[in-house]
Amino acid sequence: MSEYKLNRLETTKLIGNIVDKHWASLRHAKENGEKVAWCSGPVFAFPYAMDMKCHFMAGYSAYAGGRGAAQQLLEIAEEDGELIDACSYHKLHMGMAAAMRKNIPVRKDVILPLPDLLISGRLCPEMSHYAEGLYRKMGVRVTGVDVPPPHQKSEIKYFEKYVERQIRESLIPALEEVCGKPFNYDRLTEILIVLKETAMLRNECWEYLKLKPSPWTLWDYGVSIAPVFYLMGSPEAVPYYKKLKAELADRAAKKIAALEPEKSRVYWDGWLPWAFLGKFSRIMCKLGMVPLVGRYPWEFFPHPETIDTEGDPVASFVKQVYSNGGQAKDNMPSLNLPVIQNWVEDYKIDGLIMFSSKSCRMWNLGHNDFIAAIERQNGIPGVVIEGDMVDTRMNSFAQIETRLEALAEMIEARKE
Amino acid sequence: MLYFAGIDIGSLCTKSLILNEDDAIIGTSIKRSGAAYRGAGEDALNAALKDANLKSEDLNYIISTGYGRSRIPIADEQITEITCHARGSSFIFPEARAVIDIGGQDSKVIEINSKGRVLKFVMNDKCAAGTGRFLEVMAGSLDIDLEQMSELAKQSKKEVQISSMCTVFAESEVISLFAGGTEKAEIASGIYRAIARRVTGLASHIVSGKKVTMTGGVAKSKGMVWALSKKLKTELLVADDPQIIGALGAALIAKTKFNNL
Repeated sequence: MSEYKLNRLETTKLIGNIVDKHWASLRHAKENGEKVAWCSGPVFAFPYAMDMKCHFMAGYSAYAGGRGAAQQLLEIAEEDGELIDACSYHKLHMGMAAAMRKNIPVRKDVILPLPDLLISGRLCPEMSHYAEGLYRKMGVRVTGVDVPPPHQKSEIKYFEKYVERQIRESLIPALEEVCGKPFNYDRLTEILIVLKETAMLRNECWEYLKLKPSPWTLWDYGVSIAPVFYLMGSPEAVPYYKKLKAELADRAAKKIAALEPEKSRVYWDGWLPWAFLGKFSRIMCKLGMVPLVGRYPWEFFPHPETIDTEGDPVASFVKQVYSNGGQAKDNMPSLNLPVIQNWVEDYKIDGLIMFSSKSCRMWNLGHNDFIAAIERQNGIPGVVIEGDMVDTRMNSFAQIETRLEALAEMIEARKE
Repeated sequence: MLYFAGIDIGSLCTKSLILNEDDAIIGTSIKRSGAAYRGAGEDALNAALKDANLKSEDLNYIISTGYGRSRIPIADEQITEITCHARGSSFIFPEARAVIDIGGQDSKVIEINSKGRVLKFVMNDKCAAGTGRFLEVMAGSLDIDLEQMSELAKQSKKEVQISSMCTVFAESEVISLFAGGTEKAEIASGIYRAIARRVTGLASHIVSGKKVTMTGGVAKSKGMVWALSKKLKTELLVADDPQIIGALGAALIAKTKFNNL
């Protein structure tokens, strides 16, 4: 029996139904005569503004992974010619496309409808191949929005103009053509208003992660990301975060920790292991280890107070991706390391976990460098663990457990 | 007299060691792990007890380590092999500040301080290249045992490259070289150098400028120690029996834990 007790939040138990409803509405969109888009990258707000039902690549992958349905789709993709070590998010979609084309039965709750438009929001080179591959399988219209990573502050204004111009001159005309109506700028503003309120509540919830012991964990936030991202503008988003904030305030007042006792506090870099959150949680609970903060989960509109709901919504949205968003923070050499180092102080972090995804190189470059630099400045140890977000075959839990236990031992030894 | 035991259940071999309160090693044993870790752990401990002329009730504290560490109910605590190898290495070589442990299913490079505490570590990924299992498979493909392979490698006059990082593909490469008339000695030497390249990639940023000890079953292979020393351009410190260092570290930690009770 573990000497640690995990106190699950009541609010996060609600998220399953909220996301199920979203994906069910997408599955049934065609029956209801609605248009459907599949989207990678952060621009799904634009099809939403046209009342289209829209899928989001990483969100769907997390959903399918969390429901234990990813493996079948990955294997269908491989039988259709995909390589085993290709991006598992890409492959999962290729598996869905192959299943549709070949009438291979897959679990009903993860079926996607054939899109009317594929939107390739390119955050990494693989995403353009993703859209190209899906186009070959499904033959539907594709439009791209390139979202390049900046390397210095002076580049940001050019990148913002570049992305904004693609949205105005390519994405919006494509949406208007597919939907047969003018783009609804007012609806986009409404979505941004809801997003702003939701993300501001979320930021208040983030503050509770700084408490020692913390009343919630990064995993709790991980399952709560959808309302500040692909569920943006949905009527459930604000009530969800209001309820979450109230529960956290109550826990803080009563000094109820997410994990009792909280032995160590860790930073998590890279993707969240969506299909294995339960397994990671069990291993880390056994060690009294609480994950609290990470670059990827902090990408989603970290400065909602700057969302301009009075002016031009397209420009405002793009500014959230760049000037005030995760793109700059995650990619600018002058920003990303200091951001983590500040978090180590703010969140009272004892150790670093760098999750190196076997099938996504975007998030695992320089992990040992980061550990060395942070150790020099902040004096805390770190480990690299290898796995995948959704592909079971890429995770060796005996290895992962050993590395996490060794991290716990290093943290403990430094405290002695 | 107080007695402490360390049991290191690795993927290939299970090692056990008995230490007395004066830090003297009074019993050791090494057994194949097989498929039943619990049985292997108990067998190894009983053999070490026999070697020490003790009974299990004489033991004051037991620590298990290695991949099968959680399978030993008799152990008072489990500690990772990373911490145990660090502690054991520092006991044998107090001047060592880095440990290269090549075990059956992984390789680890550990930076340690003067007390044998882990400062940082890196491990190979989920691949057998650079591990004891890789060496066993390669020796098998040459139809020789590990000792013969070590001796053969010394006779090599030419360098052949084994470039694949995958055990299965490397085995095909070895078979092709053999079929093409390459001498066994050259292939054996090529295999050691392939592992040395792999481990050096993992180790160099940690071991640079430090006294380095090599532990684990693979450190018994002179060919491997030679190839790795050459590649790292440093002399490796190797204990008389490097395979028991993890169990030694576990027993030393058992003593500390018992004294802190």
